[in-house]
Amino acid sequence: MSSFESAISSHDPPDRLTLGPAALRLKGLGLAVGVVCMAVAIVWGLAIGDDMRRFFHSYLLAFTYFLSIALGALFYVVIHHLVSATWSVVFRRLAEIITGAFPALFVLMLGLVLPILAGSHSLFLWTDSDVVAHDHVLLVKQSYLNAPFFAVRMLIYFAVWMWMSRYFMKRSVQQDETGDVALSNRLRRVSGPAMIAYALTTAWAGFDLLMSLTPHWFSTIFGVYYFAGAAISIYCLLAIFSFALQRSGRMTRTISPEHYHDLGKMANSFTLFWAYIGFSQFMLIWAANIPEETTFFRPRMFTEWKWASLVLIIFHFVVPFVGMMSRHVKRNPPVLAAWAVYMLLLHAFDLFWVIMPAYSPDAIVFHPMDVLCLIGAGGICLFGALSVGGNVKLLAVRDPRLEASIRFINQ
Amino acid sequence: MASDELDNEVTAESDMLLPGSETVFYGLLAEYDSPGALLQAAEQVRDAGYEKWDCHAPYPVHGLDPAMGIRSTILPVLVFAGGITGTATAILMQWWMNARAWQWVASGKPYFSVAQQIPIAFELTVLFSAFTAFWGMWFLNKLPQVWHPLFRKKRFLKASSNGFFISVESQDPSFRRADTEKLLREAGAVAVEEVSYTTSPEQRNVPRPLLGFILLTTVLALVPFAFIAKYRTTHSDKPHFYIVGDMDFQQKRRPQSESDVFADSRADRVGVAGTVARGELKEDDHFYRGLVDGEWATTFPPQLEISERRMREGEERFQIYCTPCHGQAAAGNGMIHQRAMAVGAGATGWVQPLNLVDTTAQLNVVRQPHGQIFNTISNGIRTMPGYKSQIPEMDRWKIVLYLRAIQRSRNASIEDVPPSKRPALR
Repeated sequence: MSSFESAISSHDPPDRLTLGPAALRLKGLGLAVGVVCMAVAIVWGLAIGDDMRRFFHSYLLAFTYFLSIALGALFYVVIHHLVSATWSVVFRRLAEIITGAFPALFVLMLGLVLPILAGSHSLFLWTDSDVVAHDHVLLVKQSYLNAPFFAVRMLIYFAVWMWMSRYFMKRSVQQDETGDVALSNRLRRVSGPAMIAYALTTAWAGFDLLMSLTPHWFSTIFGVYYFAGAAISIYCLLAIFSFALQRSGRMTRTISPEHYHDLGKMANSFTLFWAYIGFSQFMLIWAANIPEETTFFRPRMFTEWKWASLVLIIFHFVVPFVGMMSRHVKRNPPVLAAWAVYMLLLHAFDLFWVIMPAYSPDAIVFHPMDVLCLIGAGGICLFGALSVGGNVKLLAVRDPRLEASIRFINQ
Repeated sequence: MASDELDNEVTAESDMLLPGSETVFYGLLAEYDSPGALLQAAEQVRDAGYEKWDCHAPYPVHGLDPAMGIRSTILPVLVFAGGITGTATAILMQWWMNARAWQWVASGKPYFSVAQQIPIAFELTVLFSAFTAFWGMWFLNKLPQVWHPLFRKKRFLKASSNGFFISVESQDPSFRRADTEKLLREAGAVAVEEVSYTTSPEQRNVPRPLLGFILLTTVLALVPFAFIAKYRTTHSDKPHFYIVGDMDFQQKRRPQSESDVFADSRADRVGVAGTVARGELKEDDHFYRGLVDGEWATTFPPQLEISERRMREGEERFQIYCTPCHGQAAAGNGMIHQRAMAVGAGATGWVQPLNLVDTTAQLNVVRQPHGQIFNTISNGIRTMPGYKSQIPEMDRWKIVLYLRAIQRSRNASIEDVPPSKRPALR
């Protein structure tokens, strides 16, 4: 008798499918750690006395990092419905719970946008009116790159994301009660337009939050680059969460190595996708060698940052791509979870590489605030996600394709 | 019973032995009626310790590999090796070509540069991996197999439509004629047959026409290489032959190159205001815009020859571009409209394409001047998009001409029919 058959036989006690009291503990821990770390980071930032420049760069790193994970989760949910996928049903609720972090991210976003509206120009060059007045390119771009419009765009993105995540999660949880197949059909119909809205908002968020750090530079593929990191992150995070939940005795009979195998395949493919997009962006600019296009890569190729670039190529692409290639790795949950943790760390370094040369073009400078902000934002997002979805079941228990998903076998 | 008939047939076949050949007993073929039965039977055959046996199904049956006790394939390892070979080949090839054999500066880049290598390396990695996967699969499955003892069984034809089979070879150490048949039957076989073949060499030869075809294509495939070899080793006084000459020699400046026309030597320039590209002036209002003195033209432009031939060409264009919405008879009931109604778009504000031949309609296209129809085709109207990017002016005019013909035929009176043809209508 194979494992899935024993999973659905009824002799054993029912599988544990909720977080239970652990949700409350994690939520409290997330809030406490998040607020403390963030407060320490703010005080530290103020103490340096550089108009909070260092702090805001660290804060942007933390914000875009957790935003990318939430966006990855939203992608997972929408693409699942769009293609009527089967294997991914067992993880979908976890992804839905992760998208519950959007309200918390909205609050974090205000921490970024409100100072800009109040006239701070510690982060983006284009917010400094003295610079813009004497810079022809920025002057021309001012109709797009200006503080009020930036704030409006952020509001639009978050309106779309929060609405989408709520819409998909609400109906999914509703299905736990009713088992209504019409809900699945409805979400499938919505997923098409939702994917278009998702693609546009994600790409533009990448342009606004990250690309505009180098405001003279432009790259139409940049949004896709940000998305590639988001997609890697979610498959890795799902592997970690599933492993942790199974270790704690939850979902032990629904998630099998077959499902880990698929998560690994997706994470591995998106690692290649990330490299493909990153290289496509680089190669055209390198080959054309036109001054207005090279400003982004100049510090990253010819200063200390070139070592960071090399680290990314080798440790964000070559090593994990080869390391996660074997099916034996992907079908071994502890090993896959270890690779997932590794990839999530490298993803943070990827964003570090995108953001920090804007702060320090010549030298790689780490600061404890980077870590404090990451832990702080992570804690707040954990609190946010569990406030929204801490009490729902960890599995879409009455999804029409759940049984097929549990029985799923790679062949 | 059907299986008995088949058995007889096989016996008859094996009677037709050619001199000098003998009949060899290959093994047993058992048929099962469903993939589930096949899976269960496969597990039993596996557990009985057979080695030389196989399953045959018209489509991949999930779980068959473990049921047969087949170890996972070595193919992924081969594909990985193929991929690495591809990467290495690409880098070595580019190094040899650009940095050794023919040093050539392209865009001021180094002779050998990793960034330049990657696209080719990527493509060759994919190509070699795909080739290894494809040919490796053939090799590991011992394909192509044009002859196999099972192919002589009529029943086995069902293996490509709806039959599920297990074949056990008599060479198997565990094979005992009666015991094996019992095992297969008890595992749920609907029929078990003996398979035998003759060693007659004539029956195993490749057909002669096939040999001829292979020989011919091989010889023909060598012809281009023969020409290349010839031209590589001989000299010619004739000028180079350019297949697409105007692409090789274009009247333009490349970006960021020099020009001796302008004082600042820059070839990149903003066009002078009001510049019109060659051949793009289009000053003939009548032909290009359907206007005569600012009014819709009521006549066809002189460039269009009014003839049946031109009208037929217009018909062809009309069939391609207009009928999907407006229908074959221009009555506004094309396939798109019918499809929209079928899926219930009528309830959500679907607007039917216009009937172009109806004289009683509020929007009477029959009354519209030629120029106005030409303009509608060019620029679109309401929900209809403009077609000027797809259809050249002359073809748009031909469509107008054809449309006039349908409109007339749809609203014809007896006076329109020549008197000599009228009796035929009765």
